[in-house]
Amino acid sequence: MQLVVFVIASLMVLVGAVGVVLRRHPVHAALSLVLTLFGVAVHFVAQEAHFLAAVQVIVYAGAIVVLFLFVIMLLGVDSADDLRIERLPIQRPLAAVMGVGIVGLLIAAVVATRGSEPLQAGAGINVAGVGIDDAVAGHDANITQLAGNLFADYVFAFELTSVLLIVAVAGTVVLTRREKPPSEEDAP
Amino acid sequence: MIGLVAQVGDWPTPVVDWHALAPELVLIAGINLVLATDLLLEEGRKWATATLTGFVLLGAFVPVVTLAVIGGDVRALFDGRYVIDDFALILKALFLLTGYVVVLMSQTELEEGGYYQGEFYVLLLCSVLGMVMMTSSRDLVSVFIALELLSIPAYMLAAWRKRDRKSNEAGVKFYLLGVFASAVLLYGMSLLYGATGSTRFDEIAASLASGDLIGLQIVGITFVIAGFAFKVSAVPFHTWAPDTYEGAPTPVTAFLSVASKAAGFVALVLVIFTAFPTADGVYGPLVWVLAALTMTVGNVIALRQTNIVRMLAYSSVSQGGFILMPLAFVNSGDAAEPALKAVVVYLLVYGFTNLGAFAVVIAVARKTRSGAITSFGGLISYAPGLTVLMTLFLASLAGIPPLGGWIAKFNAFKAVLDAGSGSGYALAVVGAVNTAIAAAYYLRVMREMWMNDPPDGDRAPIVTPAPVATALGITAAGTVVLGIVPGLVLRFADLQDLTGALGG
Repeated sequence: MQLVVFVIASLMVLVGAVGVVLRRHPVHAALSLVLTLFGVAVHFVAQEAHFLAAVQVIVYAGAIVVLFLFVIMLLGVDSADDLRIERLPIQRPLAAVMGVGIVGLLIAAVVATRGSEPLQAGAGINVAGVGIDDAVAGHDANITQLAGNLFADYVFAFELTSVLLIVAVAGTVVLTRREKPPSEEDAP
Repeated sequence: MIGLVAQVGDWPTPVVDWHALAPELVLIAGINLVLATDLLLEEGRKWATATLTGFVLLGAFVPVVTLAVIGGDVRALFDGRYVIDDFALILKALFLLTGYVVVLMSQTELEEGGYYQGEFYVLLLCSVLGMVMMTSSRDLVSVFIALELLSIPAYMLAAWRKRDRKSNEAGVKFYLLGVFASAVLLYGMSLLYGATGSTRFDEIAASLASGDLIGLQIVGITFVIAGFAFKVSAVPFHTWAPDTYEGAPTPVTAFLSVASKAAGFVALVLVIFTAFPTADGVYGPLVWVLAALTMTVGNVIALRQTNIVRMLAYSSVSQGGFILMPLAFVNSGDAAEPALKAVVVYLLVYGFTNLGAFAVVIAVARKTRSGAITSFGGLISYAPGLTVLMTLFLASLAGIPPLGGWIAKFNAFKAVLDAGSGSGYALAVVGAVNTAIAAAYYLRVMREMWMNDPPDGDRAPIVTPAPVATALGITAAGTVVLGIVPGLVLRFADLQDLTGALGG
């Protein structure tokens, strides 16, 4: 049963990922991304990380891809760029060689790793709730540990991402704002 | 409900050492302050934001000094993920000072160009915050957030001259290659986390040292190093640098070539010394090749440049090679300590010297309105002060004693030779040849300034605005003092000061 779930979810991820790259229409590519994200969510459920799975669907599939779609629709999709023009004709074959090379490297690394000792368990989410207070264990364990990670261990990095948001807002406003003649008052 | 109460009792409240975080907190408060003040100021009084930004940076400098004076134990926060040691403090000081000098250099340029001043300084402060955070980060997540925090504002600053196509090109190229590098880096980090089970550098080091390296760890280390190599514009990941440096506003170029690059090196030092010190079989050859290529290619292309900013861009690429050089031998023999010392000293000296060179370029370009090297012709006849300063900075970049650049190069070579291996001697030879090549193009600019006549015969004196003059004073003092009294910084850069390095 586990294997069946794994194969189906992995197929979703891979088909979606290939679709993102190959689809010519940006809307179709964005929708392929949703498929990938759902596949990852299924993997999370299979690993008993239910909260992560829910967040994955709500935030990534729900919010971020919808944002992509908004941007695509606002910019208009009719003027798709012609990708056939290349400045250096060698670029495309070279890129293919590099891509195949990296895939080969990773596969080789995974195969070589198979025989060695089992990897150390991550210090991340303890999905089974092992070693946690009984009152907390169970379906709350995920959330408790995530909270511990975000608001205790990684709290400084987490808080500083809010500065990143200021940067994004301030920078985007400046770079995209249409410049007006100085006499005109800025609209409120 | 009872479960919830039990959870509250279990909550691992992080112990926060507010004094240790004070530099970052001052910067964060300052970012908000500048942003809010900018809203209230009228268009004609926007220059006040520059002054305010200068005070914020100096304000953040105060806790750095008090932390250094109090000294005592290393302050480790958040379970060892954020560490304040002497290494972090000296580099925090460097980044804050660099930020201050860049503010001084930008002031007149922004006022005259009519750019968005308030937002410019906000983004500059955010970028400095990222760098300050980088020096203390000791785990993959913090390093990544710090890297994004310092890069994302820089992408926007590079494109700040919105109506200038070259500036747009600078921003887009920097952005696309930068996010690509971030993606490679993040992929490497995720492999490392998966293959070692921790994001903390000391635990990664312990895991890597506990047995033979496995394939995924090797791939992870390689990707992480490649990701940072983009940030420090090491060849072959340097292609964005010249176009970005040329197109971006000159103060931003100075900021990118000094602060942003130094932050990349800080990250490299941190991962190499504290996370993979024992994996020298992987990063050693990698860094060796990067260093040799970076020095050579950067220099050879710099020889052919006719634009002063492009020349300085390629020169800074090749200087990066010299900083990389000692990092290839961190785990061989007794080379670790000289290597760390060499990198820190080089970063400090290079920071002052390169900023100074850019400040002179800004001052001269205000009159000549040209970026060609020939526009420096006959500078001695109408701007002797600037000529002497530029000569000083170029001589320091070339490594002529008794200037700072000399002591930096001396330490870098010493560290490589201390490794005592054949590959160390080979790299030192490559470095020596490159030092000679580099002298050629630095001397060419000097000859232009001292020997030739002004291209258009215009000998009207240059008026250097007060802020730029202050920036020149700070950088010149730094360049000379570091050369004459190198002990001043050398004592900050002992290996014990980088906590967790090589188990020390």
